Amino acid sequence: MVGLTPRVDYLAGFCCPLGGLAAGKPRMLCLGAEIFLSTGSELVYVYDRERGLLTAVYKFPGQVWHLELLALRRALYVLCARRGIYCLSLDQASRSVSQDDGDDKDDGDDGDSEDSQDGEPPSSVIPVDPDACVLPDATLCTFTVLDDVLITLAQGPTQWKMQLFKCPCPGEDPRPRGQIGEVELSTCIPPAGSPREPTAPHFLPVLCCVSPQGSRVLHSHLRGSGGFTLEETLFGLLFGADASLLESPVILCGLPDGHLCCVVLKTLVTSRLAPGDPKALVKILHHLEEPVVFIGALRTELLAEDVEESHSDCLVALGHHGRTLVMKASWDEAGNLVPVLREYCLPGPVLCAACGRGSCMYHSTPSDLCVVDLAWRGTPWDPTQPDGSPGGLPSLLCPTTLNVCSVVTLSVSPRAPEGGAELLALSAKGRLMTCRLDLNSETPCPTRVTAANTGQKIKEFLSGIFTVSERVSSLKKAVDQRNKALTCLNEAMNVSCALLSTEEGPRPISCTTTTSWSRLQLQDMLTATCLLENSSDFSLDQGWALCVQVLTSSRASELDLASSAVTYTIPVDRLGPGSRWEVTLPLGPGEDGVLDLPVTVSCTLFYSLREVVGGALIPSDSFNDPSLDEHSLDVLPEQEGICLPLSKHTVDMLQCLRFPSLATPHMQAPGPLSPASDPVDTFLGACLGPGSELAGPASLQAKYLPPSVAAIKMSVELLRATLGDSHSGVSLCCATLQWLLAENAAVDILRARALSSVQGVAPDGTDVHLIVREVVVTDLCLAGPIQAMEIQVESSSLANMCRAHHAVIGRMQAPPHTLRIREPAS
Amino acid sequence: MSHETPLGSSAPHASCLDLWRERNDQLVRQAKVAQGLSLRRQQLAQDALEGLRELLHCLQVLETQEQLEPRLERGLSGLWDSVLHSSSLLPELLPALHHLAALQAALWLSTDHLGDLTLLLQTLNGSQSGTSEDLLLLLKTWNLPAEESDAPLTLQDARDLRDVLLTASAYRQGLQELITGRLSRALSSLQEAASGLCPQPVLVQVYTALGTCLRKMGSPQKALLYLVSALKGGSTWGPPLLEASRLYRQLGNTAAELESLELLVEALSIPHSSEAPQLLIEVELLLPPPDPALPFHSGTQSQAKYLLASRCLQTGRAEDAAEHYLDLLALLLDGSEPKFSPPPCPPGPCMPEMFLEAAAALIQAGRAQDALTVCEELLSRMSSLLPKMPQLWGDARKGTKESPHCPPWVSATYLLQGHAWVQLGAQKEAISEFSRCLELLFRATHKDKEQGPASNCDQGCTSDVALQQLRAAALISRGLGWVASGQDTKALQDFLLSVQMCPGNQDASFHLLQTLRRLDRRDEATALWWRLEAQTKLPQENATWSLPLYLETCLSWIRPHDHETLLEEFQTSLLEPRDL
Repeated sequence: MVGLTPRVDYLAGFCCPLGGLAAGKPRMLCLGAEIFLSTGSELVYVYDRERGLLTAVYKFPGQVWHLELLALRRALYVLCARRGIYCLSLDQASRSVSQDDGDDKDDGDDGDSEDSQDGEPPSSVIPVDPDACVLPDATLCTFTVLDDVLITLAQGPTQWKMQLFKCPCPGEDPRPRGQIGEVELSTCIPPAGSPREPTAPHFLPVLCCVSPQGSRVLHSHLRGSGGFTLEETLFGLLFGADASLLESPVILCGLPDGHLCCVVLKTLVTSRLAPGDPKALVKILHHLEEPVVFIGALRTELLAEDVEESHSDCLVALGHHGRTLVMKASWDEAGNLVPVLREYCLPGPVLCAACGRGSCMYHSTPSDLCVVDLAWRGTPWDPTQPDGSPGGLPSLLCPTTLNVCSVVTLSVSPRAPEGGAELLALSAKGRLMTCRLDLNSETPCPTRVTAANTGQKIKEFLSGIFTVSERVSSLKKAVDQRNKALTCLNEAMNVSCALLSTEEGPRPISCTTTTSWSRLQLQDMLTATCLLENSSDFSLDQGWALCVQVLTSSRASELDLASSAVTYTIPVDRLGPGSRWEVTLPLGPGEDGVLDLPVTVSCTLFYSLREVVGGALIPSDSFNDPSLDEHSLDVLPEQEGICLPLSKHTVDMLQCLRFPSLATPHMQAPGPLSPASDPVDTFLGACLGPGSELAGPASLQAKYLPPSVAAIKMSVELLRATLGDSHSGVSLCCATLQWLLAENAAVDILRARALSSVQGVAPDGTDVHLIVREVVVTDLCLAGPIQAMEIQVESSSLANMCRAHHAVIGRMQAPPHTLRIREPAS
Repeated sequence: MSHETPLGSSAPHASCLDLWRERNDQLVRQAKVAQGLSLRRQQLAQDALEGLRELLHCLQVLETQEQLEPRLERGLSGLWDSVLHSSSLLPELLPALHHLAALQAALWLSTDHLGDLTLLLQTLNGSQSGTSEDLLLLLKTWNLPAEESDAPLTLQDARDLRDVLLTASAYRQGLQELITGRLSRALSSLQEAASGLCPQPVLVQVYTALGTCLRKMGSPQKALLYLVSALKGGSTWGPPLLEASRLYRQLGNTAAELESLELLVEALSIPHSSEAPQLLIEVELLLPPPDPALPFHSGTQSQAKYLLASRCLQTGRAEDAAEHYLDLLALLLDGSEPKFSPPPCPPGPCMPEMFLEAAAALIQAGRAQDALTVCEELLSRMSSLLPKMPQLWGDARKGTKESPHCPPWVSATYLLQGHAWVQLGAQKEAISEFSRCLELLFRATHKDKEQGPASNCDQGCTSDVALQQLRAAALISRGLGWVASGQDTKALQDFLLSVQMCPGNQDASFHLLQTLRRLDRRDEATALWWRLEAQTKLPQENATWSLPLYLETCLSWIRPHDHETLLEEFQTSLLEPRDL
């Protein structure tokens, strides 16, 4: 079947929104020459193929989500979103024909005709009488009809609920004659948000009615309503002995969460006082792990003789991303009958699908319409065959393209040509067309051109051009997106190379971190400011993000470093060459008032492949369904991207000290409880009394225990070497203090006042006293006394003393050049 | 629902408020007039409700309140607490506040937030009622302030709501206590519910629950009185009839028990009349969802029919049982197109077992030919699922020893068919059926547990013990067939096998003993006799495992009638030669 070229004919065009029709909601049914069609809007069209015109358009009070026909009763059932189910009599429908409708036969119109149709539906729109509502229920998501039983699936707050109603006949009392059964599909949890909410669900559940071969239910009914008759063997194996013995139809239910479950209809008849027990009534057949969009049945085995009625011997469920489940009966090695469930992968995302009477399944993606043949041409039912693949299922499914794109709903026409198939399709642009396939012959029959068929020929050519143009525009979009993604990737590679190749010297893209105190939401907060500077020739575009990881010291002692740190990811919004960008983050103290020092701030550039490449994985954006994007991205792993470390900065006690004693009215250094605070806050603070910031044992300690003291001595010589020239003009004590507090905001005041000791306040409010004085160390070296500088750290809180001490040691151990770099320019 | 004005008072202009109120009162009047059963009236009432809903949305305050609801869900009790403890509570707001509290109480009762509810009522009752945790007491002592005469109209006033709450919570509490076995407390709670203002269907439930409670407390006569009043009261006869059958069963009055069940079947065949939608908060709305596990859940017609049929079979009324089983099968299978019929409730047997029970009942009733028909029907309906045996087993090329898996009920069908033939006097056919049964049984391997998704029912139907008993029954049955056709050696073989299979099965040993005696194999017979003697002296570990009903029935057919006489007879014949 390679190279199937269908003959495509356009029948009519329908209104569609600017972005094209979304998949999932449009529906199409055929009955004789009549086609019933809904495009997802509130209109239902009735189109007569023979006369080639629209015979009726019905307007419903809301979006139409589902259609079902009950052929024998000549009734059309329509599910209207958030309203309920309406029933229309078809005889009534044909009576209200309005022939002067010019909307059909617009085959010759060009592409912009959609826009002109957009605003106004055809003139003869019949508003549907509210009395036609046979089952008002705002939570209904889908339904199906079997004989005179209406099976509905409603979305409750926590679970799906299947209900059975006696279907009312047209002309009868419109209210359904009563509920005859109910069960909750408790294991399957519907997505958050009920359909009452304004946003419509992305995926609707699918119902399919399956009857056993011998069932006394008339098969014509089933055909009309999208049901199937299944061979007894597969039926019994899948649904159990009870269903077989009762010859009960089974409702298959595919849910948006991927569950495929079944309910034996005859067991669902429960008393109204008690809903059925889901454990006994609902059986989960499979979990497809993606929204189920289609359930159908096929005949895969060739019939031995020419049997009149062929029953399906194979069930198929299709997931949104193309995951396909095929269920068939087979013999295992020991000769036991077993059901075989096999998963395949077809190209996705699947917009819609349909099964014909034979072994072919048709499914549509944004870029193509494919046919898959599941026919098994091996020996049927022979367990002795050693190489018979289980279930007589092919090991691979090979879809054959039909070169038609963006079909949003499909229906296999009952009027199939000899040895072929005819599909009715509605494209995303609202065009209704037929595709005729010749499934038997490999080459299309050459036709002689005669005067009679020239007109037909031209029509076909025109149709062909439409198909091709729709396809080209969709492919072009895909190519553009891929090109864009490639450009982005190239840029990203340039940036990465530039960053990674510079080992010494200033890097082309750098990030510097500084800390300061500020008042946020009535609380003093230590904030870190990361300045990202791009001095390279490339720009950081979409996809780049700055990740700042804040690691506090108490966490640092724990084993799982990565997980206990807080990471902020901020998308970089276009940073051109030579520009700078600043991010400010709070470091603490947290709600408990504790700031565990030292804090390490690491900055990393991250490039997300998902964000850039992901877009190109969706072939077309004409299906403006946001869920599509999310789901296609699942192909890429969550964390996939490029990671470039930029800088690491440690914030210690010396940087966080505040010096309220140094504050002068014109100085900006904020101190704790700065005057800018809320008057109420100030009042409350005053009420609580002095020293209230310290509570518990800490305050007691502060009151009654002498402060903890630590002193560090450092050789003057060494210190001079470390400080270099920067201390010229001031005493070494002052220079040392300035050196220690170089990264503190108060260093300028220190410098201005030439202080050698200073009283500071730690983040938690306790005092920290730093005193620098010159001492002589006599007992250390035999050569004689050494000139040294003593740095004394004093605090009422032992913890803060330790933190400060640790910070001082850190200054001493740091390599000299880093010290100089951080020297402020005076 | 009822609509409160206090929140509306936040509307800035009095004229707006007046307009709102006018519309409210008009709608309430319309709804009150519209209460009734006719469709037109229902429509009118529905329209009124719709109008009230719109009115509600006019109130900006309420609208935001509604959006906040999910977040407030937890904080609601806190809000109530702060509102009720607020010192500046205006006295003119009190009636409305209590009305609102009644609505809150209804909501909490229906969502099972009993803790919050108790707390709310405690606060409303003030501190004088102290720390009583008793919800019923709290509801009873709830002192509602009188509504002001000029208050806006409401659909349901606070007093009415309180009474509904009292009845509903009494019934809920009673049920809970009944389930947990605190019977005397359950009795008082249920009586409280029964004394309240109670719609008829709920009253039937309450009376039935009272009947259950009294039956469990050992007062069957009082229980009967309640059940009779339940039956007199309402149109839902199912639960009281089912309860009555249990009561009679406990009393040992089989005739009355079966009569109740028959009535139950009839009662359940009446279709439900659809009820008018409820406008107001009624007791039904506040009851827990019906639970099939509750003792007075009457189930469906076919469930009742099954109960009746199986009880008939168990109590030895085979003819009635056979008829009921046939009715049941007809109900389930021939349910003509528009009528769907359910099989019995989930814990009951699966469909094939029901066929088997029907066949067993027919054999018991002496209708062997009908039994054969039922068995054939079962096999033919399931034929597509049965392994194609001859063709598969003949395949020696693959050399696989494993046989196709076959559900135990297939073997059981052959067993019953065999017994039907026995009854018809066709020993040859009987023996061949028993042989087919045995062949399947002994080929069935235990390891094919992991089956397709469909077979959990087939698997669950028959436990290992039952399978063992089934094998023993088939062996004994065939042995008896051999005995009847005079082939004692073959019979001996089968009896021996059955004793090996089921050493605890005394029936097998007795049959073996008799055969040994007939064949004059004295030593073996004596050894067996001694073993049997020892066994009978041991405390009988009674057959407590529950076997499928059809198997129990079948086992009763192959039980030797005269254990004692046989043993005594044998003893005397055994002792004689010793004396010599």
